[in-house]
Amino acid sequence: MSELDANLVREKIRAYITRELIRDPDYDLDDDEGVITEGLMDSFALADFAVFVEQEFGVYIPDPDLTVDKMDTLSQMVARVMRG
Amino acid sequence: MGLGLETILVFVVFALLYAGLARGRARNWLLFAASVVAVYWLQPWLPIRYADFLLPTFTLLLTAGGWWLTRRPDPARPWRLEREDWLALAALVGLIFLLGMNRFLAPDWRLTPSRPPAPGLILAVLALTGLILAAITPLLVGARRWWALTGGILAIVGVFVVMKTPGLAQPLAAWWRSHTGQNVAIASPADLGWLGFSYVSFRIIHTLRDRQTGLLPDLSLQEYVAYVVFFPAFIAGPIDRAERFQKDWRALPGLRGLDAARLSQGGARILTGMFKKFVIADTLAMGMALTPELAQQSHNSLALWALLYGYAFRLYFDFAGYTDIAIGVALLLGVRLPENFQRPYLKTNITTFWQSWHITLSDWARFYIFSPLSRTLLRRKPRPSQKLIIFLGLMATMLTIGLWHGVAWSFVIWGGWHGLGLFIHKVWSDRTRKWYRGLKDHPHQKRAWTLLAWFITFQFVVLGWVWFLLPDPALAARTFLRLFGVGG
Repeated sequence: MSELDANLVREKIRAYITRELIRDPDYDLDDDEGVITEGLMDSFALADFAVFVEQEFGVYIPDPDLTVDKMDTLSQMVARVMRG
Repeated sequence: MGLGLETILVFVVFALLYAGLARGRARNWLLFAASVVAVYWLQPWLPIRYADFLLPTFTLLLTAGGWWLTRRPDPARPWRLEREDWLALAALVGLIFLLGMNRFLAPDWRLTPSRPPAPGLILAVLALTGLILAAITPLLVGARRWWALTGGILAIVGVFVVMKTPGLAQPLAAWWRSHTGQNVAIASPADLGWLGFSYVSFRIIHTLRDRQTGLLPDLSLQEYVAYVVFFPAFIAGPIDRAERFQKDWRALPGLRGLDAARLSQGGARILTGMFKKFVIADTLAMGMALTPELAQQSHNSLALWALLYGYAFRLYFDFAGYTDIAIGVALLLGVRLPENFQRPYLKTNITTFWQSWHITLSDWARFYIFSPLSRTLLRRKPRPSQKLIIFLGLMATMLTIGLWHGVAWSFVIWGGWHGLGLFIHKVWSDRTRKWYRGLKDHPHQKRAWTLLAWFITFQFVVLGWVWFLLPDPALAARTFLRLFGVGG
């Protein structure tokens, strides 16, 4: 996964979350904002996120990693994708 | 669940002796041995001859089988074991055999619930398990491994279904009775009251599945067995996760034995649990909580509501009390089990209720049912509608949670009730999310809305218990209607 550029991953995930999950493309999502704990989306959307990551970056995130604790912020999501 | 005062006292005395006397790696071995012995000691007596010895033995052999399937062997020598695993295997087999020797003790001195079978039978069961595990070993390397793990999961699910389905457990009990020369006509599913199996099976499935996805860390046999049958959590959970348990387990040798802060925290937790269980729950159980008998007799709607609230609180305090005791005893031993309840009856929607009621079971179902099923559907082309995916995922999850309690229509309806509730809440919250977030600028309105949301959520959960507690769906339906003054 060393070919993945963290900044590119971050921007792609940010765009996906605001467009597809929050459904407000103009929303200014911070890196450390709690997308689930702040009520922007619900935890059901983590399955959508995981499939997006699989298809976009070829990274499989095991289901027990799809929790609010581990995937609440953009920074957490990017770090998990970069881990491969 | 049979966690009485005597059992708690034995747990606490053992934990204090362990904290005061055991040092270093001896702590792990002592807890391993205690947990193996507890599998037999906690098992209630069963009417079928030897069942209360053989079922605990099957628990341990299934656990050993789970470990065998999840270990990562050297492909060239898949049979080769590490020295510590040999030791754990010898300890496990030796303990099972030694417990079998209780056959020769007077009933008052036995650690087993009744007289164990002859040593020859125990040896035959152990040898047969060894042969089965040896036979499947070639499947544990390379691409076949995935199928071996899937086979393991299906086998556990199969046993689970048989044990939890009265229509299947009854013939099995009759078959078993026919081999022990006992009266077949009175065979009943209760003959197979296999203590701890529900929790054990879900823990093993978690390790098998996590090995498939590469998430499971390598566990020694000692760690694996201790995780699956850890005695404080053996009767009523929590389910925990292997990687979390392993961290605590490996830290045990370095812990301070008589750590005043840890011991007082554990002690306080046990006392809190005992108060919830023996004072609140047991008091409510004395005629203040709905039972099938009371549901038959009560025709007054107000009285039924009062009894139903009584049941809701009895159930919560009973289960949360057990959990507090388990967490407290584990703390005395140096293991921090996960929380299982976080004020579930104060939640303001059904989704957060399920994130705070029997949390470790809900998490398990989310990780191994909801999430994989949703992802499979999301990958399909053309992709089904979002609502359909959520509906199917929630229903499958909640029906499984229902059936985990027993394969019966009452639990199917209860699971479906919550699956539907979660789905309705999901659709509702999707539509109102923006509006709700805007409420933060209107604190009075938000407070009123929160109160209403709590009230609706609580009534929904309480009404769901009608299906859960009454095994006869017809009586449950009548009771449900009577609560609203219909049917008299």
